[in-house]
Amino acid sequence: MKNKNNDISQEMLEAIERYINGTMDLKERKDFDDYLKIDSDFRIQVEEIKTILSGIETQALKEELNVFHQDIENQQNKKDNYKKIQFLKLSKWVAAAAVVIAMVSIWFFSSSPSQKLYAKYFTPDPGLPTTMSSTNNFDFYDAMVSYKHGDYKKAIEKWTVLLETKPQNDTLNYFIGMAHMNSKDVNRAIPFLERTVQSQDSFPLINEANHYLGLAYLKEGNIELAKKHFKLSKTDSSKKIILELTD
Amino acid sequence: MGKTLYLLSQSQLIRAIKTNDTSVLKQFYVANYPKVETLILKNSGTIEHAKDVYQEAFILVWTNVKNGKFVPQNETALQGYLYQIAKNKWTDVLRSKSFKNSKSLDSITLRVVRDEEEDNEPKNTKLEMTMEAFKNLGQPCKQLLTTFYFEKKSLRDIASELNIEESTARNKKYRCMEKLRTMVLASKNT
Repeated sequence: MKNKNNDISQEMLEAIERYINGTMDLKERKDFDDYLKIDSDFRIQVEEIKTILSGIETQALKEELNVFHQDIENQQNKKDNYKKIQFLKLSKWVAAAAVVIAMVSIWFFSSSPSQKLYAKYFTPDPGLPTTMSSTNNFDFYDAMVSYKHGDYKKAIEKWTVLLETKPQNDTLNYFIGMAHMNSKDVNRAIPFLERTVQSQDSFPLINEANHYLGLAYLKEGNIELAKKHFKLSKTDSSKKIILELTD
Repeated sequence: MGKTLYLLSQSQLIRAIKTNDTSVLKQFYVANYPKVETLILKNSGTIEHAKDVYQEAFILVWTNVKNGKFVPQNETALQGYLYQIAKNKWTDVLRSKSFKNSKSLDSITLRVVRDEEEDNEPKNTKLEMTMEAFKNLGQPCKQLLTTFYFEKKSLRDIASELNIEESTARNKKYRCMEKLRTMVLASKNT
């Protein structure tokens, strides 16, 4: 039987294939059916060919399915990559935010003790009361009005004109310095305030001048000079600052 | 892709299955996979399991349509049938002894389960043996038989593609079949 199985002619094989595929004409089919009826070995042979044909097809399909599946895997990879990109984009923002936060906190904590103290204790000098009667110092008080209105630039301009004639005037130096400080220009404020405190005359606002000069140095980060001027100032807030600085 | 699939009627799918129209089969395959993957992933399976079970189910649908064992009754019958078979197969895996016994899931489990199934159906082994033999058949023969029996190209087309006479192609095909049959018989006797 094995021998017989192994021995199928090309013509016979093609006939069996035609039978399986249903492409036989009626006459051939009838003959084939008759043959099947009388020969059981032949029946087995036909069954075996049938199995082989479906084996080929099924295996070919199976291998094709793996090809199909690559499409799904590629799509999933794309999706994953997209997610990854999204994640990278997101993490870029997170990283940027972290850098900003880090920089802010570095600024806050490192530059901080003095900056914080400065922010805590600096309140602009309210200026001098302006009365309608003080006519002889009209220009000075005119500038003071600007100062009180918060127009420090105009105030500085007007006082600077006056200062040219009286460069040693404590009050002028003091308020020009204050106007600079109020415009957050500590660098420019320092020379004016220095002139004020170095004045030999007794100046009614000397404590304030030292206090603000101390604050100016504090903001500059020059703690030693700041301490010196806070000590010279007899105001309560200067004393408090000294306490905080020595802590 | 899903949209194009809805344009494919059941009869188009049936025709594609019977003629192994790979572009249509691929659409059908790709469109119905996600649902099965979701099912298996939600039920303690892996992506590997999903792929294996889905492919087995797909082959079974293909076989049953070819044999006329399944005839679609409505416009989504084939899709539903494919999903149902995959679901049943996965349920079998989950219920199987070896799956329950194995603490960790791996591909071995699935293979063991499949072997258990095969013991119950010795008839399938013949087919599996042929498949295995065909898988290992030399590339030229495999290529020729695939083109003829799977892609269903005519001997004339095959001959012109290979730049040979049609009679030569016909003879080659016969010899390849003999080779394959010998391999199957050899594996049967071991």
